[in-house]
Amino acid sequence: MMSTMTRSAEIDTATTKIVIVEDDPASADVLKRRLEANGMFVAHGPTGEEGLRLVRELLPDLVLLDVMLPDTSGYEVCLKIKSDILTSRIPVIFLSARGDVFDKVRGLSSGAVDYLTKPFHPAELLARVDAVLRHVETEAPRLAPQIESGAARRPQALVLVADNERRARIESKLRDHFDAASGAAMQEVDLVIVEEGRQSPNVGDATVLHLSGTTDDVARIDAELVRIADLAARQRTLRSDLKAATDALIVMAKALEEHDRSSPAHGEQTAERAVALARALHLDEDAQSRIRMGAQLRDVGYARLPSELVAHRGQLSKEEREVLERHPLLGEELLRGFTPLGQVMPIVRMHHEHLDGSGYPNRVRGEEIPLEVRIVTVADRYEALLVDRPDRAAVSSAEAIRMLQEQVVRGHLDAAVVAALATMVREGAE
Amino acid sequence: MPTTLHVTQPETTERRLERRFLLTEEVARMAMRTVSSHLSLARDDRPYQWSTTVYCDTYDWRAYQDAERGESLQLRFREYHRIRPDRVLAAARTWIELKEDTPNGSVKERFGMAAKHVPALLRGDDIPQLDGDALFSRGKKFIARGARPVVATQYNRIAYSGAQDRVRITADHNLMYLAVPWATNADTAVPARLGPVLAQEPNVIFEIKWFEEMPDWAARLLEWIEESAHDRRQSKFVVAMRHLLGLGSKAAS
Repeated sequence: MMSTMTRSAEIDTATTKIVIVEDDPASADVLKRRLEANGMFVAHGPTGEEGLRLVRELLPDLVLLDVMLPDTSGYEVCLKIKSDILTSRIPVIFLSARGDVFDKVRGLSSGAVDYLTKPFHPAELLARVDAVLRHVETEAPRLAPQIESGAARRPQALVLVADNERRARIESKLRDHFDAASGAAMQEVDLVIVEEGRQSPNVGDATVLHLSGTTDDVARIDAELVRIADLAARQRTLRSDLKAATDALIVMAKALEEHDRSSPAHGEQTAERAVALARALHLDEDAQSRIRMGAQLRDVGYARLPSELVAHRGQLSKEEREVLERHPLLGEELLRGFTPLGQVMPIVRMHHEHLDGSGYPNRVRGEEIPLEVRIVTVADRYEALLVDRPDRAAVSSAEAIRMLQEQVVRGHLDAAVVAALATMVREGAE
Repeated sequence: MPTTLHVTQPETTERRLERRFLLTEEVARMAMRTVSSHLSLARDDRPYQWSTTVYCDTYDWRAYQDAERGESLQLRFREYHRIRPDRVLAAARTWIELKEDTPNGSVKERFGMAAKHVPALLRGDDIPQLDGDALFSRGKKFIARGARPVVATQYNRIAYSGAQDRVRITADHNLMYLAVPWATNADTAVPARLGPVLAQEPNVIFEIKWFEEMPDWAARLLEWIEESAHDRRQSKFVVAMRHLLGLGSKAAS
């Protein structure tokens, strides 16, 4: 059975999008026409699987879900929608011929916002749809808007002073370092100057200066502002320089990998995979950023080993292996002087450790290995299994998962991380 | 330094027998209709509330391996919610359950305490109120071997029970198995996020638990269920662990 959907080009982002999951074509058609007549875009999936695919693809405003479907139950579909971070906020209304109290309770327990018993009057359905959509409009957006990169822009200063003349004077003094920010773009503000008695807005990691003092102090304070603003600008430059230095280190690590290793793109793929895993495990953006950086730099210690050993193909002697297994410690030594990378050091040092203490270099175990390290280790192993190596052929993604699960059973890898990877691969989110 | 935990007194439980079946929705409906004419809705359980159970195991999967052999000690944390949560060990009270399964039946003890103390429990901090409790002493040994939360189940339960809870029959719907990404026993580890959904069970888990003798009507109901049931079901813990460890073909049995 195929799903029905009008051409994607016809979807206006402002149009209400509804996915109907209903196996009876006649009922679905009546519903679809009724909703379309009310200006809504409607997609229809006749099975649970097809319905879920449409929900993930369209991220609709609402799902109308039948309970009895040919391949699964509506309850199960609802739980899947509510368990996926991307779709969990989409409201679901059950439509069902089952009208027992327990059916309704069970449907609502699955996460649905409403349960409508068939046969229902179309006017009641539309009223309930409108009520749900009205409620959703008052909530925060499902996905946060993308914040554009600020690499090429000038720093922004926001001056919150009631006196227009004084505000203009301050903005003029700051002009060498800052552009005046509009109130609408709070995330991009670098410096906020707030007069006494006024509340500072939420502006993330911007520098906030509070103006306080008597009227006599105004001239002196305003004069000082130039020096303070200069300091704020330098601080911002320093942050940006540290980021640039980190980026340079990552470029160097990539270059080394291309030079010495048989699979030059492995570092980047590992980093991408590790970040996807971190996202699936609901780690925050700071953790994702540390994981990306740590995954890219994890093998930087190879730079301090003989290149012929790093590039060696085939069996290694015991001594050679021992030397090679020092690369996490050498990487840590190499990066130790670079303070901003302190938080990624555990990844560099421990990405070959095992939970049961059988890894290297320090044979740490269990709780001593942070989740961020465990994620990079799993991503590294998985990506390595997918490519040909001198000593073995590439394996399929399903086989790679099976091999990683064996390592979970042996006590090497984290079970939840491998489970997240298995789910990702199974659902085709590779 | 030992942490003093404020716990409720354990519910003393004698050895209880249990049978478990996997039923289709329709068979479960009919069975529960019969049950409802003999037993009352359990007073302490809101119908279809969400039960979340977080199970612990060691790094060498000792509890799971023992459970596959039919003899195990389970350490688990249970919480009840009106709406399905995506975080656990966040409640003012979590129930710490120790369940010992043997071929002759099972013994369960449970202790209520604030979820924020769970990391201290897993670090092996002292709990003076439980000193001398035999089952809890065994639980402490399990904890000392590195037991930590690994897997969770969530389901909607409808429960019926008889006088003094001598017989209790439950039907669990919407059963989900989830991984628990747990990496540290630091106090900051709770509330804990639930990990990916490992599997969902489309059928209904029907359980009957009783002390001493099963009532006649229940015995007759079980005979009928045995003829209609998909199969006898492994414990939720065993099935969850099979899914977690990728033993997929075993998980389906």
